[in-house]
Amino acid sequence: MAEEGLVHVPIDLYRFDPATDKAPRYQRFELDLAPHTPVLTALLKIREMDPSVTLRYSCRSAICGSCAMIVNSKSRLACQTPVGPELEAHGRIVIDPMRNLPVIRDLVVEMTGFWGHYKKLQPHLIPDPHHPLPEGRESPMSPAQVEMFKETPRCIACGSCYSACPAVEADPEFPGPMALAKLYRFVVDPRDGARRDRLLRIQPGGLWLCLRCHLCTESCPKDVEPSQRIRDLKEMAIQLQGATENGSRHAVGFKENIRERGTLNELKLVRQTYMPLDMLARIPQGLRMARRKPEFIRTPPKIAGLDEVEKLYQILDDAPREGT
Amino acid sequence: MQRHDVVVVGAGLAGQRAALAAVEAGCDVAIVSKLHPLRSHSGAAQGGINAAVGKEDSVDTHIYDTVKGSDYLGDQDAIEFFCREAGPTVVEMEHFGTIFSRADDGSLARRPFGGAGFPRTIYAADRTGLALLQALYERLGTESFTLYEEWDLTNILVHDGRAQGIVAFDRRHGDFAAIAAKSVVVATGPAGRIYGRTTNAHSCTGDGIAAAYDAGAPLKDMEFVQFHPTALLESSILITEGARGEGGILKNASGEAFMVRYAPHVKDLASRDVVSRAIWTEVKEGRGFPGRYVHLELMHLGRERIESRLQEICDFCRTFAGIDPVTQPIPVMPAQHYMMGGISTNIHGETPIPGLFAAGEAACVSIHGANRLGGNSLLETLVFGKEAGLAAARHVAKAPTPVLADADLERETAQIRAMSDRKDGEEPQRLRTEMQSTMDQLVGIYRLPEELAEALRRIRALKERYRAVRIVDQSKVYNLNLTDALETGHMLELAETIIVGAIARTESRGAHTRVDFPKRDDARWMKHTLATQGPDGPVLSYAPVAYTRWEPKERVY
Repeated sequence: MAEEGLVHVPIDLYRFDPATDKAPRYQRFELDLAPHTPVLTALLKIREMDPSVTLRYSCRSAICGSCAMIVNSKSRLACQTPVGPELEAHGRIVIDPMRNLPVIRDLVVEMTGFWGHYKKLQPHLIPDPHHPLPEGRESPMSPAQVEMFKETPRCIACGSCYSACPAVEADPEFPGPMALAKLYRFVVDPRDGARRDRLLRIQPGGLWLCLRCHLCTESCPKDVEPSQRIRDLKEMAIQLQGATENGSRHAVGFKENIRERGTLNELKLVRQTYMPLDMLARIPQGLRMARRKPEFIRTPPKIAGLDEVEKLYQILDDAPREGT
Repeated sequence: MQRHDVVVVGAGLAGQRAALAAVEAGCDVAIVSKLHPLRSHSGAAQGGINAAVGKEDSVDTHIYDTVKGSDYLGDQDAIEFFCREAGPTVVEMEHFGTIFSRADDGSLARRPFGGAGFPRTIYAADRTGLALLQALYERLGTESFTLYEEWDLTNILVHDGRAQGIVAFDRRHGDFAAIAAKSVVVATGPAGRIYGRTTNAHSCTGDGIAAAYDAGAPLKDMEFVQFHPTALLESSILITEGARGEGGILKNASGEAFMVRYAPHVKDLASRDVVSRAIWTEVKEGRGFPGRYVHLELMHLGRERIESRLQEICDFCRTFAGIDPVTQPIPVMPAQHYMMGGISTNIHGETPIPGLFAAGEAACVSIHGANRLGGNSLLETLVFGKEAGLAAARHVAKAPTPVLADADLERETAQIRAMSDRKDGEEPQRLRTEMQSTMDQLVGIYRLPEELAEALRRIRALKERYRAVRIVDQSKVYNLNLTDALETGHMLELAETIIVGAIARTESRGAHTRVDFPKRDDARWMKHTLATQGPDGPVLSYAPVAYTRWEPKERVY
């Protein structure tokens, strides 16, 4: 029995040392802890029992971003995650290294890929040569302009979002939520002169691979909301350039498509999304779909009450847009 | 062997600023850091950075406040230089891209801070360190330099009286390497983890300070340890002075706003040493809450102001203490926060050893003297980081090519091999825990001679036991147990310098409060302590304080 006020916490810890282990394994540790004890504190107690347990940690106050890991299947900062609720929900605490990044040892992962995407986005202020920053004094910036950054200045680059992102898993070329949130931070910076270049450069293969699943936002320990900022970037990219990428053409096409009939005209959406050459490459896929799902090539009838749909579109068109 | 013109150890604000200055001066620069630069403890600084840029404020007032805050132990020439550089430094960081909080007219917003005559602290919500660290890292990223990431410093190599490079341990691959450099800049931050109750990150183990001390550099004013008045009760997580700057009030168990009795004029915004002693006294005399703490109240500020200006604090309190500062008081007690002391340097970051430089909290110029003002440490990292980088670059132009011997590396690896080969011995973490409880109990805010003597006895016993320290983990890959051992060794050396300095200084000044000598004694003690490593522990000597315009007066807040 655990001491009064303490709970018995079984922890299954991912262990892997490439020098000695053929495959990863879980090691069980049992601790008696107060329910509000952070997972990091539990891990440091485990290190006192077994100093070979390896993890990154430093500030223990959710500001250095070192201790991101998977706690019961979710990307979390260990220092910010109390053991009590985890125990209640799962009966034990299973700790794994972050996903989408190769394991170096135990919970320590190789983050070069993560940082590489961030560096590729030119994450530094590029002042407009035509509007240099005022000499000897600060650039003026209103509190409203500071608000434009949203929560992106809070990002501590812990990698939780990158670990949670299925688009990163599917395509390692996808920059990932953190890098895109950082891009947003520069795009909305009134001191930055490269807004246009940044938006143009990120489109092919970057921005439009986001699946809008919001797992990044759910996993972010600092409420940076990367998925919302990616959405903002998409809107800004379309406003700047129109729908020029398959991704943006799909988004704009989808909207217009539904407006016409109140339901999706799938064959038309294909034409709205892909450029002619891309369409040719997709003919075999189209034929397969037509065979399996014949309604795919039929134009659907307009739905009843289409005027109501149009009213909704009018409201949306008139509504002010956030983040643009 | 790797070779560079300049090796900067530590990648926080001071280290990065030094590296930037040296790169811009045309040097081949390497940064060696045990953390990724964005993980540095600079990022945990909350409240702000001081610069007298307001119309009603003046550089002279900033100088005076800093001199007074230092309890007249700060070097006035250094403080004058420091405060003059403040405005340009903040503007430069703004131009690098720092997202500061703004006033309605678009200028940099400022908040009042402890010990300051005017609202002088420029801030980015309550994450000013993070904002600066991001901007500087991003600016430095446009330059070319070599980063040795997650390398532990083990030694600074001094031959023929000059620094010639370092030895460091590559965690990832498990190898020691010597890195030759004409200039070595130490910017490894503080050693707060000597204490158990500290606001400092786990990484703050004073590696660079200890290595410089071991290499023969004198440490200055190590006995002056700042206790921040408001740390969360159990975790010792920092609650920024900005919370009181925004109007937060300390109250004891009977609901009394007690600071008026200790600092009738500025109350909760007195200097940190004053507020910490006040809280300690309240608790000691039975006016604290059961569990020995006081309350910091923010509720009267209103949800909007608390959540916008103290956003991280809200998160900390909700996550780490389970309380909501919008509706509940925050339970706080003082905790170790800052080391005024460090590697003795002049205003150019130069140590007495040619080729060895230091900046930031690892260094002691001294501008903070016996007590640092809030908002002055972020400024220090940038002003003196740049100075050290420039001085390091100047030294490169005139220094001969460094010569390192194979023996330098062999000595290091043999020592570690001995630790790993031991079948039984001392666990580094156990030694660390005993050191921390010793310092917490016996070398705190109020210091008694018999307690200091007992602390010294215990730390020396721990140093003796450390000779048999054992590394259990046998892996070559990311061996943290080896890091544990290295860090513990560093901290034990530094703990001894703090205690020896505190025993010798028979007066009370700033953060150093001797119960048996409650008064400041300018006639005997207006001087800096210098500790140099000797065969039987630290050897003390003293150096004069530099004066310009400000005569010592009694400090009243």
